[in-house]
Amino acid sequence: MTGGERDGRSGRQREDRELLRRYREDGDTDARDRLIASHLPLVRSLARRYAGRGEPLEDIEQVGAIGLIKAIDRFDLSRDVSLATYVTPNVVGEIKRHFRDKGWSIRVPRSLQELSARMSATIDELTARLGRSPSVAEIAEALGTSKEEVLEAMEVGSAYTALSLDAGPGGDEDGTDPLETIGDEDAGFDRSEDRATLEPALGRLPDREREILRMRFEEGLPQTQIAERVGLSQMHVSRLIRRSLATMREELE
Amino acid sequence: MADGAERIELSVPLDDAFGGVIRLVAGGIAEQASFGFEAMDDLQLALERLLAETGEQERVEIAFEIGDDGVRALIGPVAEGRLSTVLGEPDGGTGTLGLRRVLSAVVDSFGVEPAGDGQIVVRLEKLGTARL
Repeated sequence: MTGGERDGRSGRQREDRELLRRYREDGDTDARDRLIASHLPLVRSLARRYAGRGEPLEDIEQVGAIGLIKAIDRFDLSRDVSLATYVTPNVVGEIKRHFRDKGWSIRVPRSLQELSARMSATIDELTARLGRSPSVAEIAEALGTSKEEVLEAMEVGSAYTALSLDAGPGGDEDGTDPLETIGDEDAGFDRSEDRATLEPALGRLPDREREILRMRFEEGLPQTQIAERVGLSQMHVSRLIRRSLATMREELE
Repeated sequence: MADGAERIELSVPLDDAFGGVIRLVAGGIAEQASFGFEAMDDLQLALERLLAETGEQERVEIAFEIGDDGVRALIGPVAEGRLSTVLGEPDGGTGTLGLRRVLSAVVDSFGVEPAGDGQIVVRLEKLGTARL
């Protein structure tokens, strides 16, 4: 009988603990990467439970992966539990926290949440295909639903605050910071004559939102072009504009 | 807006809780006018930002006119004071991205019409022929 069998741990558990030990004691980051990779299927499985709630599955998986990394970094080797056992509540907790922080109302019917989630990509696809912004009727036809449901889902999406103004780099649809694709810091709203009048409410917005507002209200670019430049969907740009303006207005009160 | 435009009137509490109702109605109006998503979004944003500046009154009347060439929205009567000031200021003059600048970007024209007793009606026009 091997030592591993005597301590009741499976081969996987022993391997995990050895990798954890190498990471903790020797600073072996390759060991950490292997732990992350080997537990990603578990993260994906857990993420699928939360699909269809208005958030793309890939985004939920990314949030879950953050929970996994935190769990690996926090795991106490002296505890007699498997890493997978420890990871599961951490990943679920991270995902739940994500939904709670982002404010998706649980009162929104699931069908509308799903429709809202599908609509953003549909609008972008139709815009590309038609060469113009699609009508509600065209969006409804593409989604196989009614115009009324499209309008309702748009409103539901507006209430969904996943588009946090505080979202940092990497928190967006393609996992990259849209500002990285824009190039040098723009002049625009940062120009001295504007700085005096638009500060401080505008200045407190995150760079990305300020840049979007500059493109929309100074350059006069349509949403479609802004969306292309920053690598977001039209709906995402629309909501960021709305939220930014509302936030600035609230700061004046 | 051409004669014979269809007219829809809405009287709604001026409360954040009804913001979604106004957006939904405006969305439906825009759909009737065959607006594209972006033009619809512009109209909704114009109304949202305008109503945020209308001050302390409890209700607001909004009349939509759907013509061949787009949508006209008449908001009011509302108190002249603050809104006239905000709309009359130079772009950016409010210490933030001002209403005038926002409206200039999202609607094709806007203006103020006197309604007596220190009140005004604000007119917004959004053309829809280009289906932007």
